[in-house]
Amino acid sequence: MEFDFDLENPLAGVDHDTQQLSTALLLGSANPDEPLTLFAVESDHMSFLPGALDQFSARCNAHSLIVQVQFSNNLDPSLAYLAVNYVDRFLAKREIPREKTWIVRLLAISCLSLASKMKNIDLSPADLQSEEGFIFDSQTIWRMELLVLSTLEWRMRSITPFSFLRFFLSYLPLEIRLHIQALKAHASQILFKSQNEIKSIEFKPSVIAAAALLVAARELSPSHFLPFHSALLNCEYLNSETLTECCAAIDGYISTNCIEAASNGCDSGRSALTPVTVLDHCRAGLESGKTVGSASDGCDAKMCRTLMRRPT
Amino acid sequence: MEKYDKLEKVGEGTYGKVYKAQDKVTGQLVALKKTRLEMDEEGIPPTTLREISLLQMLSQSIYVVRLLGVEHVEKNGKRLLYLVFEYLDTDLKKYVDSYKKGPNSRPLPSRLIQSFLYQLCKGVAHCHSHGVLHRDLKPQNLLVDKDKGILKVADLGLGRAFTVPLKSYTHEIVTLWYRAPEVLLGSTHYSVGVDIWSVGCIFAEMVRRQPLFAGDSELQQLLHIFRFLGTPTEAKWPGVSSLRDWHDYPQWKPQSLSQALPNLDSEGVDLLSKMLEYCPSNRISAKEALDHPYFNGLDKSQF
Ligand SMILES: Nc1ncnc2c1ncn2[C@@H]1O[C@H](COP(=O)(O)OP(=O)(O)OP(=O)(O)O)[C@@H](O)[C@H]1O
Ligand SMILES: [Mg+2]
Repeated sequence: MEFDFDLENPLAGVDHDTQQLSTALLLGSANPDEPLTLFAVESDHMSFLPGALDQFSARCNAHSLIVQVQFSNNLDPSLAYLAVNYVDRFLAKREIPREKTWIVRLLAISCLSLASKMKNIDLSPADLQSEEGFIFDSQTIWRMELLVLSTLEWRMRSITPFSFLRFFLSYLPLEIRLHIQALKAHASQILFKSQNEIKSIEFKPSVIAAAALLVAARELSPSHFLPFHSALLNCEYLNSETLTECCAAIDGYISTNCIEAASNGCDSGRSALTPVTVLDHCRAGLESGKTVGSASDGCDAKMCRTLMRRPT
Repeated sequence: MEKYDKLEKVGEGTYGKVYKAQDKVTGQLVALKKTRLEMDEEGIPPTTLREISLLQMLSQSIYVVRLLGVEHVEKNGKRLLYLVFEYLDTDLKKYVDSYKKGPNSRPLPSRLIQSFLYQLCKGVAHCHSHGVLHRDLKPQNLLVDKDKGILKVADLGLGRAFTVPLKSYTHEIVTLWYRAPEVLLGSTHYSVGVDIWSVGCIFAEMVRRQPLFAGDSELQQLLHIFRFLGTPTEAKWPGVSSLRDWHDYPQWKPQSLSQALPNLDSEGVDLLSKMLEYCPSNRISAKEALDHPYFNGLDKSQF
């Protein structure tokens, strides 16, 4: 049984035998309950970062490391996206002590490893930590994998904005149905780019999905923005105010990205996402430009115990 | 694992023993099930990871046995995973057996059959709505809380790769009694219908207190089915004669379901006949079954 994980289809376990069933799910006919299920459980998959600065910088460092591995191995962006989702959810539950920067590295590597296994993509520990610093042995990564799994309660089939794209696309006015693929592709780009934006974890995955589609629609065919917007507001799960707020957050993030890309001589916002820009963005989000991420201290086998459980 | 006191062995599965255990601190009863796979060098094996996370997702339903946690143990240099489930006092096989034997032998109350079948359809509909087939529904894999009258689906898919195993690790033959005819005939494209067939067999078994089709080989199993429901024809089941293991079987006429199951009311007979429909695509779905008039007398608000 394979059950490779697909961001857009978190519920369906896809293998050869259930393929037929999943096709039915994709068409939305066999399973009218699916959106309901998704909306009901999405908050279990959110990550509210505690306000501590330490956690923000841990998050930035982990993100930047993941993007780095993504670039050097030419990985599918959805794999990195899933890994970042695990990191965020982990950090929402456990605090990493400020001085233990190596744990952040270990966390990023373990989340990448778990994400690759969920997506059935071959990625060895060696691929994950090629360049710098010391290398974690497989025993250590292994323990960290287990710690991540138990912290996330084995909920590894994350519900993310991608899970809702198909649902909200069904609200698309008929005139623009032709552009559905382009719209979805563009919205996906927006989602990949804005994942690193701290604000993006304050909204529900479904709200982010709807907002990304709206922003994409406005860019692709401005005249259809309003009809799509009002159609979406008919959806009982969306609230006009939060949707507007979320669109604004995405707008803000995308425009900074574009300006930066332009000043770097790039022609589009798409190329703006590199390990360095991720880190820069995060740092800009912090009040002080204090240094983060110089992984140099040693790693002891008891590292799990140094990760303190967040008092509840 | 130090968290639990192992109490007794409650079951013997295909991949290992199932123990009843008790949480030392809270006193909660749990069932511990050892996973088939040991952990290798590269961390948790991908298949185990994908399957457990799937199980985790499915067990959010009250009609599926709840996965409470996953414990990892290192023993003699080996790494093992134990799945920790909520404990239920018995399974449907043992439960039905308790109505069969001794001086107290009597039919299951029809209200109870109705309620168990409803909960079973709920559980199966839940799995199907998440894109997952159970593939091995049978009374032993349905757990029962006697006092509360609750039934839950257990033993979901773990390690059950593309085919259901034929032999267990103790070399017992895995039962064929609940297997759908398309699977027995070697169809490779089977879908949700395989589970509904099993549900139908389980339904009839609750009514009869006997398995409906008790074959001891794939051929015998098919013959049992054909003798009871009539040998399928191209007219009844388009494409049946092109299935891999199709042969020319003796031509039997269908028997009357209501005569074979005199204890079952006519709505029940109608629902059963829709679950035991030969053509898989015409078989009723779990979700449709929930709306069948057979359940009209049931107080659905309790579920
Ligand atoms: N949560 C539980 N509470 C009480 N008893 C249980 C529980 N889980 C399993 N059992 C008992 O153990 C038996 C075997 O469990 P289960 O079906 O999960 O294992 P298995 O190894 O997958 O078996 P198989 O694949 O042969 O059906 C069940 O039939 C039931 O009697
Ligand atoms: Mg079993």
